[in-house]
Amino acid sequence: MRKLLFALLFAGLALGPFCGPASAADQMSKAEKGKLFLLGAQLWPTYCNQCHNARPGSEFSPQEWDAIMIHMRTLSNMPAKDARAIQEYLKGGR
Amino acid sequence: MSPIKVRMGLLARAALTVVILAIATVTVAPQALADDAAAQAKALKRVERELRQLRADRAHDRKVIEQLKQTVDQMEGQAAQLKSANEQVKSAQTKTAQQVSEIQGRVNSGPSPRQFSQAFGSYFGTHTFEITGAAGVDYIYDQQSGALNGLPHQSQNTFLADWEPMILYRPTDWILFEGVISTAFGATGTGADLSTADFQLQLNDYLTVVGGLFDQPFGDWYEAQSPMWVNRFVSAPLPFGVDPVVPPGEMGVQLRGGLQWGALGQDFDYTTWVGDGAGYSEPVAGAAVGSPNPVAFTQTNGKGYGARLRIYPLPVDANWGRLELGASTYDSKWLDGSWYNSWGVDYNYFIGHLQTRGEWTQAYRDIPGGPSDNRQGWYVQAGYYLSGVHLPFGPEINKVVQRLEPLIRYSGVNQHFVAIDDIAAATGVGMGGIQTGLVPDFGLNGSPALYAPHSREVALGLDYWIAPSIVWQNEFDIELPEAGGTFVAGDGTMTPVGAVPNDRAFLTQFTIGF
Ligand code: HEC
Repeated sequence: MRKLLFALLFAGLALGPFCGPASAADQMSKAEKGKLFLLGAQLWPTYCNQCHNARPGSEFSPQEWDAIMIHMRTLSNMPAKDARAIQEYLKGGR
Repeated sequence: MSPIKVRMGLLARAALTVVILAIATVTVAPQALADDAAAQAKALKRVERELRQLRADRAHDRKVIEQLKQTVDQMEGQAAQLKSANEQVKSAQTKTAQQVSEIQGRVNSGPSPRQFSQAFGSYFGTHTFEITGAAGVDYIYDQQSGALNGLPHQSQNTFLADWEPMILYRPTDWILFEGVISTAFGATGTGADLSTADFQLQLNDYLTVVGGLFDQPFGDWYEAQSPMWVNRFVSAPLPFGVDPVVPPGEMGVQLRGGLQWGALGQDFDYTTWVGDGAGYSEPVAGAAVGSPNPVAFTQTNGKGYGARLRIYPLPVDANWGRLELGASTYDSKWLDGSWYNSWGVDYNYFIGHLQTRGEWTQAYRDIPGGPSDNRQGWYVQAGYYLSGVHLPFGPEINKVVQRLEPLIRYSGVNQHFVAIDDIAAATGVGMGGIQTGLVPDFGLNGSPALYAPHSREVALGLDYWIAPSIVWQNEFDIELPEAGGTFVAGDGTMTPVGAVPNDRAFLTQFTIGF
């Protein structure tokens, strides 16, 4: 088990660059952001209804969603790219 | 011509006249002198007058010159002042220019605020501090209709309140701190407990490190279903209630992440963790599984290790709903060399208005010199939102009906032994230890049947949804008769227990996730 933990840690570190995940969204063009928003709109009813009723974007401010989406990505382990899309979609709610 | 020059000219002319007159006087004959005497006297007077005039003019000129001199002096003073002021301005300008070029130099040689922020992963200006969480108030009526071998029992009707604020602190876009404090007011007073306090570091797209005190990531219940507004029922399913099969929390480190393996929505994810390990209320068979233990806890001289894998086989585009299949294991040393092993499988499926989930868990524990302690627990539940239903009773009634979610759950626990001392001191899930014995608590109906070695329960629910996270929940619990088992006291004395009493309980709860 201990070996498995270390193997996973190294595999995880090797798979992706050591970077902040959401900062990429800040440097996107408008068209890319639009695509991300649409993907988020498609995924939200599926991914966010899984454990509890999906909470709409209008419930929280964009800054609050930034924090909540770290929490929800951790809990659900959803693919990071999908979490970014849902985050973009929810932040458009206010 | 200047007035001074004019006057100088007059003066010269007067002098010339005097000289001519003198020469004339000497050279002209005495006769002519007599004739001209009167004219000369006249001329002389005129010359005198002119001389006086000239003197007065000269005095006046001196005065004017004096004044002009003063004016020039003044102007010179002012000019000097201006010059020095000008010099001051000039030197100030040079200083400013020097400072500007110095700052420019500094800016050019070091990173700009933007570069700095990029270098630190946008660390600056992204702090978010937020309070979320949940609150609820509930009322429980329990008949406690049957006793378990002499355990006291009585009808219960009790109000309870629970408030669980959660702090989320996000210093930057890949770090989060989460802390939950559970506070409850119940039949025996107030209690507070630290439910979770952990850091979540999203190192990259495939790896998140969680460190601290966290809900046990084993199965779906503790981590993803236990909050009041998330759980569709008021009570916890039996294997996660008073005699849990796996410990509810852990103190340690997790590595977790997920990825898409097929079409959109076909995901896979993993969670692995290491922590302080399992602990029990007593070293006897059937003793309650403890909450997270401190490092030096005498029962766990080894660590606990866990792993959980989930797979989502259905693509989003197919519109077949979302299906999650999971498997978990959690293994730990307890009481020095003795083993605790557990594993479980679970599923969760929802499509349209229907959602259903279930879990199976099993644990095995070595007891030195005694019988081994085995437990199994399970639940399966389903709910259906009536939001699509239209009854022929007019819009007012339909409005109410469409907010309803009828639910059903069947859960059970098998264990051969139950530690009798735990019944008096049992605490509810995530509670601050305010429950004692058969007094109900949040997430527990207080039925003696829950402490039976083989308990079975059917729960019927009717939720009225006001908003996605605001709900009024109603639950009717039916404890089913089942085989008995054995009660074990702290000193090892064993007493056989009869069949589970056939008890009924009603619970109603208003809860908000905020
Ligand atoms: C794996 C289960 C799971 C999934 C999937 C999930 N949530 Fe949650 N969510 C929870 C739980 C559990 C809580 C309660 C938090 C707690 O007590 O730790 C919660 C809480 C929340 C909250 C309250 C604030 C907070 O951070 O606790 C919001 C808002 C929320 N979820 C939104 C979402 C959105 C949006 C999605 C889709 C991206 C989502 N959730 C997907 C389990 C889940």
